Amino acid sequence: MATIEFVDVTKTYPGATKGAVEHVSFTVPSGDVCMLVGTSGSGKTTLLRMVNRLIDPTSGSILIDGQPITARDPIELRRSIGYVIQQVGLFPHLTIEENVRVVPSIMGQSAKDTQGRVDELLELVGLPPAEFRSRYPRQLSGGQQQRVGLARALAADPTVLLMDEPFGALDAITRGRMQEELLRIQTGVKKTILFVTHDVEEAFKLGDQVVVLSEGHLIQMGKPMELLISPANDFVRELVGADNVLRQFEYVPVTTALEPVTNAQGATIGAEAMLLAALLKLVQSGASELVVVRDGAPVGQVTLASIARVIRKDGAFAGKTGSEAGVTSRA
Amino acid sequence: MDFLLHPANWDLTDPSSIPYLFLDHLYITGLTLLIGLLIAFPTAFLVVRYTRLNLPVQTTASFLYTIPSFAFLGFMISITGFSLATILVPLIAYAQVVLIRNIVAAVRAVDPTLVEVGRAMGMNPFQLQRRVVLPLALPIIVAGIRVVAVTTIGIATLGPYVGTQNLGTLIYDGIYLGRNSEIIAGAILITALAVTVDLLLVGVQRLLNRGGQVALA
Repeated sequence: MATIEFVDVTKTYPGATKGAVEHVSFTVPSGDVCMLVGTSGSGKTTLLRMVNRLIDPTSGSILIDGQPITARDPIELRRSIGYVIQQVGLFPHLTIEENVRVVPSIMGQSAKDTQGRVDELLELVGLPPAEFRSRYPRQLSGGQQQRVGLARALAADPTVLLMDEPFGALDAITRGRMQEELLRIQTGVKKTILFVTHDVEEAFKLGDQVVVLSEGHLIQMGKPMELLISPANDFVRELVGADNVLRQFEYVPVTTALEPVTNAQGATIGAEAMLLAALLKLVQSGASELVVVRDGAPVGQVTLASIARVIRKDGAFAGKTGSEAGVTSRA
Repeated sequence: MDFLLHPANWDLTDPSSIPYLFLDHLYITGLTLLIGLLIAFPTAFLVVRYTRLNLPVQTTASFLYTIPSFAFLGFMISITGFSLATILVPLIAYAQVVLIRNIVAAVRAVDPTLVEVGRAMGMNPFQLQRRVVLPLALPIIVAGIRVVAVTTIGIATLGPYVGTQNLGTLIYDGIYLGRNSEIIAGAILITALAVTVDLLLVGVQRLLNRGGQVALA
């Protein structure tokens, strides 16, 4: 468990007139997946690499659990942070097992001590240990290699995981599968994850929080839905595809389209569901309304009309994030 | 062939018999490689670390390599007389150009991504060299050692001219005594030694190339 805090972080590379990252401040709560999104040169990778001190900021500070990382020995710090990159970077001269246990091994643990841990991690990332343990990276597919990369990053049970476009080089099907796997693993391990991507779909799918960066500046931070509902400017609007009605259906929750319950006996849908799920259920079941249920209690209902009101034709978002409370008080 | 097969030449009580000459030859080659590598490794790592050293170091090594071996030996006699050092020093000097150039190239060829990953995982500088750079560079470095081993075995045959006996003694004696069979025997044995050593090093190279990280010729 670890909270990561960026406080007024600026990085100017030698010879550059403007900073790669300028005055960026935000906090990633412990156990959250925070996605850094932006175009090339937005500073997202620079930001990531400052957390394990591959790069040091020109000014400002980064804190993990309230402690400035500069107060810690960089080598000890890096051992407590998992690192996964697009090129995977498995050591070709080491077997899969040896690759996975690199960090425990440089910390002085013997192969015997880590045997159980290696098998456990390979199981976790979906590679049967008996089959993969003694293979070399070259003998694995790209997707399998990145699974090993993930296992390796988790080996010393770090509190923080840094991922730099880890699935960027994989084909669409493998990428989707790996995203699902990461979500599955994360529910078990609950790491604080900083994840760089230029793929907004990926950011929305994986992120608890999404940080939008442009030319070194933090433009907006929020939950995927918040970026869709109220993009800070045209750049964010365009980047997240806020005008894309389908995307809104996909990432805006049903609780934004609530109206008072008229038919308490109707079909139900969970309050955490997105508009798309509600829409499909309405269409498929032929019901005219769905009761939205949270913890067994109805909080309101959605209808085709209420959803339509939320998503207006011009794409602008009509609803408000907190509308749910108002509706329940009326109901 | 009669010289090569004559039992007297394989007499183990005679310190100048073929088996002893063979061991002498192996000894001087091994010693050259050992000392040569002890010099070349740190030098090469300095060159990789401080690029400015590249030109002066490579130039010096190349210059040493261009000195004709007979001239070098003659010069050495004036300093070290008829001792082992007289043949050893030129052999080590000749080895440097190939060894240094090869180690530098091998270390530079290591994928920077892997070095960065090692660093990001918390390896200290020593662990980085020991666990990432060296194992990845070694198969290529051994390729350079193969070249040096074979040329050293060849040049070492000049040893008898400066008072050090080895398989070259057969050729030296053969020339002075006009015994062609002895010259041929020497040539056959030296070639056999060179081929054997080379093949052994190929084996070492294969062993080091775990996981097939380097495409070997």
